[in-house]
Amino acid sequence: MHSDSIAIAVENVTQRYRVIQERPDTLRELFTRFFRHQAEVYEFEAVRNVSFTVSRGEMVGIIGRNGSGKSTLLKVVAGVYRPSAGKVRVAGTIAPLIELGAGFHGELTGRENILINGLILGYSKAEMIAREQKIIEFSEIGDFIDVPVKQYSSGMYMRLAFAVATEVDPDILLIDEILAVGDFAFQQKCKERLRSFRERGKTILFVTHSADDLVTLCDRAILLDQGVMMFDGPPKKALETYEALVAAQSAGAEPGSLVDTAAQR
Amino acid sequence: MIELLRDTYRYRELIWALALKELKIRYKRSFLGFLWALLNPLLLMVVLTVVFSKILQANIPHYAVFMLCVLLPWTFFAQSLAYGAESLVGNGELIKKVRVPKAVFPVAAVVSNMINLILSFIPLLLIVPASGMSFFWTWLYLPVPLLALTIFTLGAAFFFATANVYYRDIAHILQVVLNVWFYVTPIIYQEDQFPAEYRWVFKLNPVVYVLHGFRLSIYGANGQYGLLPEFRSILASFVCGFASLIIGFSIFRKYQDQFVFYV
Repeated sequence: MHSDSIAIAVENVTQRYRVIQERPDTLRELFTRFFRHQAEVYEFEAVRNVSFTVSRGEMVGIIGRNGSGKSTLLKVVAGVYRPSAGKVRVAGTIAPLIELGAGFHGELTGRENILINGLILGYSKAEMIAREQKIIEFSEIGDFIDVPVKQYSSGMYMRLAFAVATEVDPDILLIDEILAVGDFAFQQKCKERLRSFRERGKTILFVTHSADDLVTLCDRAILLDQGVMMFDGPPKKALETYEALVAAQSAGAEPGSLVDTAAQR
Repeated sequence: MIELLRDTYRYRELIWALALKELKIRYKRSFLGFLWALLNPLLLMVVLTVVFSKILQANIPHYAVFMLCVLLPWTFFAQSLAYGAESLVGNGELIKKVRVPKAVFPVAAVVSNMINLILSFIPLLLIVPASGMSFFWTWLYLPVPLLALTIFTLGAAFFFATANVYYRDIAHILQVVLNVWFYVTPIIYQEDQFPAEYRWVFKLNPVVYVLHGFRLSIYGANGQYGLLPEFRSILASFVCGFASLIIGFSIFRKYQDQFVFYV
């Protein structure tokens, strides 16, 4: 790492998916395909040659249309994908909130899920037990903590997931537009926590569709379109560029439906 | 291989938690819960003893012990593979969203079945005296075949977990393979009850050596009880074990970065 102040460095990252229009999922399909001598696999670049750095203590928003590569980029930073080309360097511990309660198991209780989730994030059992009470308090789950999470409402689920990811005190938090779930009061609480995170010098990468959140919370914004980084700078200017882009594209009427759905996966 | 040991150690708490989760879900909503791990071998013993010693008149003394001392390790092996094959696909949602060492899933599948195996040995401790047999000092040898079997099982679990990510038929094929495999392994019968001209099958069967170790030390052979396997047989069981682990883990390792696109 060339500088201590850089938390995330993304260098010329390209993420390719093998888009399989009809991937042979079973051997029967493989056999029929084999005898017909056809391979309907082609590659699709969800993120194309993207570079940026995020300094420690910065909160950066990522915006763009559905299928523009936002979630893919977040997953590359999280280490879920190994980039097809380029490099990602991350300084510090990461907690990803890519999707609601990823890693929660419906049959297990909230308490059991707190432990497993923490272990998956790389924390020890002792650390998780020490933090358990604070997580339960923040999530406002109350007595439901000992109920299997499959009985939770989506709001409770999200609250618990958010509480785990932020209470473990990671250096870097990755958030994929999940704040939209909880009720207004809890959303405020989450935003408050994000602010205090930033004040303590933590780094946040934040995918959002809310112009409001982008302007009030983020220091900077990155605009993606079809996997290409179109803008990197002040949130307000990013929004203007985004609006201009959407207007231009809807005038051109180019739906690109396959690209959209493939990139979302 | 060192990588596997390191990751297993580093994520031991996660593996343990995943294994317990597996068991908890398996026995969830059953009134008797974990007791089923104990009851299953007991009930199976009753059925098989009746079938083989009463109906088929198989002339094997202490048949229940004869069979269970190999059947229990076999069950561990077969169940570990069945769970292992599903372990990556079953945790697909997790693999797609969080960075997590993928090796923990097949390992946890084997560990959860190991817990099950150890629990299922408790009824054996009752069945041995109940069927009029005694405990031999050769029981102390049991950790050795257990280790060899675990190594073999891990390798196979890595292989089937990987294969099942790409072709979901594998889990189904595995069931068929395990069924056939069960009958070409001397578990419910003695080696010399198998047609002599086909007995070479045992030589090619990698689990025969290690299961033989279980049977000799708990039961015995040819009317003698409490024996130890010959050195060559022990060596063969470890050679098979490490071959399986090296092949299975290498294949797993080669493809593990691609799993996220297929689960």
